[in-house]
Amino acid sequence: MSGKRGKEVAVVSRSAEIETHIENYAANRASDAFRQFFETQFKPLKLLSETVAQPAASTANENEDEDSGSEWDGFPDREEEKEIPQVEVEVIEHNKTAPNTPDDGPDKVARKAFMTAKPPPSVSEASSARNSSTPAKKKEADDEAAADAENLKNDLALQRLLKESHLLDSATDLTPSGKNRHKAMDLRLLSLGAKASLFEQQKMPMSHRKGINAKASKKEETRRREAKENGIILERPTFKAKSDPKRRERGVGNPSIGKFTGSTLKLSHRDLINMKGGSRRLTAKGKARR
Amino acid sequence: MATPSQPPIRLTTHRNFVYRLVLATLTGRSVHISQIRSSSPSNPGLAPHEISFLRLLEAVTNGSQMEISYTGTILVYKPGLITGSAAGLGASGGVVKHELPSGCTRGVSYFLLPLCLLAPFSKAPMNVLFTGPGVITSATPTGDMSVDSARTAVLPLYSQFGIFNNIELRILRRSNPGHNGKGGGGEVQLTFGHQVRLPKTLHLMNSGRIKKVRGVAYSTGVSASNNARMIETARGILNPFVPDTYVFSDVSSAPLVRAPGEKIPSGKQRTGLGFGLSLVAESSTGCLFSADVASPPAGGQPPEDVGKHCAYQLLETISKGGCASSAAAPTMFTLMAMGSEDVGRLQLGREVVADENIIQLARDLTKFGAAGWGIRDAGDNLDGDVIVSVVGRGIGNVGRKVA
Repeated sequence: MSGKRGKEVAVVSRSAEIETHIENYAANRASDAFRQFFETQFKPLKLLSETVAQPAASTANENEDEDSGSEWDGFPDREEEKEIPQVEVEVIEHNKTAPNTPDDGPDKVARKAFMTAKPPPSVSEASSARNSSTPAKKKEADDEAAADAENLKNDLALQRLLKESHLLDSATDLTPSGKNRHKAMDLRLLSLGAKASLFEQQKMPMSHRKGINAKASKKEETRRREAKENGIILERPTFKAKSDPKRRERGVGNPSIGKFTGSTLKLSHRDLINMKGGSRRLTAKGKARR
Repeated sequence: MATPSQPPIRLTTHRNFVYRLVLATLTGRSVHISQIRSSSPSNPGLAPHEISFLRLLEAVTNGSQMEISYTGTILVYKPGLITGSAAGLGASGGVVKHELPSGCTRGVSYFLLPLCLLAPFSKAPMNVLFTGPGVITSATPTGDMSVDSARTAVLPLYSQFGIFNNIELRILRRSNPGHNGKGGGGEVQLTFGHQVRLPKTLHLMNSGRIKKVRGVAYSTGVSASNNARMIETARGILNPFVPDTYVFSDVSSAPLVRAPGEKIPSGKQRTGLGFGLSLVAESSTGCLFSADVASPPAGGQPPEDVGKHCAYQLLETISKGGCASSAAAPTMFTLMAMGSEDVGRLQLGREVVADENIIQLARDLTKFGAAGWGIRDAGDNLDGDVIVSVVGRGIGNVGRKVA
């Protein structure tokens, strides 16, 4: 303000002076609009209102100024301010609470947590749940899981080493390779429940198989005999159940009874009895009749 | 059920009716209640909601017998085993459907709270669906709390007794009291899937300080602006005390109930219009205080008043002190009395203990063979709180005794 007054005191060409005033006026009008907008939203600012009141006065003086010419000193500041009544904007506060709109973000989460069918979690539970979800805790849990997995892996490796160590007599490396690897694999398969070893020969000439079986039974027989002579009690011999002749697998579409050879179905005596729903009495009758 | 040789416990009047029947069922003692409204010239005997409660008891138990005298002023109740919603015993698809008659004036929490007391001791999970033209989910002028308060202020208490799994209270349809405060059209489903052998012994001595306030504003069949107005007023009062105050709004249309008219036999009618507010304050130690106000069935109360009343009611409940409000105390005491043979302690405000219902409950408990309560002043505080010591009976869940 005082700067402006200083400008007035200094001799300035009139047109320039008017121009500056017009500029000021425009600027003041803009700030006035801003002020009004601000005041509708918030409280009136006292500092701002004072500065705003002054330009209004100066614009009023401007007209006089033009009438009286350029040599006008202006009124003392005090009087000037007294003339303009300060307009107090009435402020009504409804209440201090922020609007409780359920649409904004954190509220939505809280609503979801609260408006369920379940009883809402209490303070302590909620805080503990929050703690558990913090990154530090999460990281700790991750570390624990990783350690667990590592332990399990090591455990498995040790178990395998113990089981297959006899294969490694010849080998220099701990991880089996080549033939040993196949053997180790076979052992693992057997431990997992495979019925027969991979290395068991499936196909061979009948004479070989008979020879093998004969040798095995002979070996077993000598073992038992020697044990008996020496008074050693062995485990009970296991008898292999003979395959049931009735339960023979038949091909699809083949006759379910008899034997089809030379394009004739041959029925044995037993087959005939079976067809009749044979019983012991019936066979006995047949024998008796004979 | 347990000992038929024991004579029935003789009680009089209709006071504390539901809690007496609950205690009878839990302890297995038969009761003989006489002089039920015998002096009333117009409505002697059992009221419709009491009959309805008896029906509910019959549905969730196996082998209970009830005999009601001709005038309805005498009731003999021999309790059975609490089976819950076991298949084949009144439950279809694991849900017991309980219909409330249209003349019911009590809120559904009148049935819910005692049912929740029975549920932890039942043999199978409890799953009850309340339907029919008498289900009022809001607070009622008869003094029942709203379903929201039951869910947010009473059900969390069970977790302090070690009962917390699979508890749900689903509000399928809301309803305020209908015309003349009778009937509604709500629908509420209670699932209580945590059965225990014995509830844990409770020691609750530190009430803490109020940390947060939550609430539900509901309006059924009326404008949602009622909710906003209730919330605005209630928050205006509560916010200076607790900044962490949130009240959620729930708006629903009014339920349709069958109302067969003279011309249209399949007529339907909208009922249960109104609004209400339920507030729950939680302390730093997990103690809950609740308040409930709903618009009167006759109307004529602006939502601002409802909000204001509710907020003041909440402040009053909190000012009484202690670790439980008078709405929650019966539940806590009953669970404590059914706990293991150990002394549980609960700090309560003097006014809460002096409540008529609590004293009646204490008297009934002693009649049912529980040890008397020990009451002493809480040492450290100046609020005049008292510490109530309750010895458990150690009966617990009879259906789970073998397992």
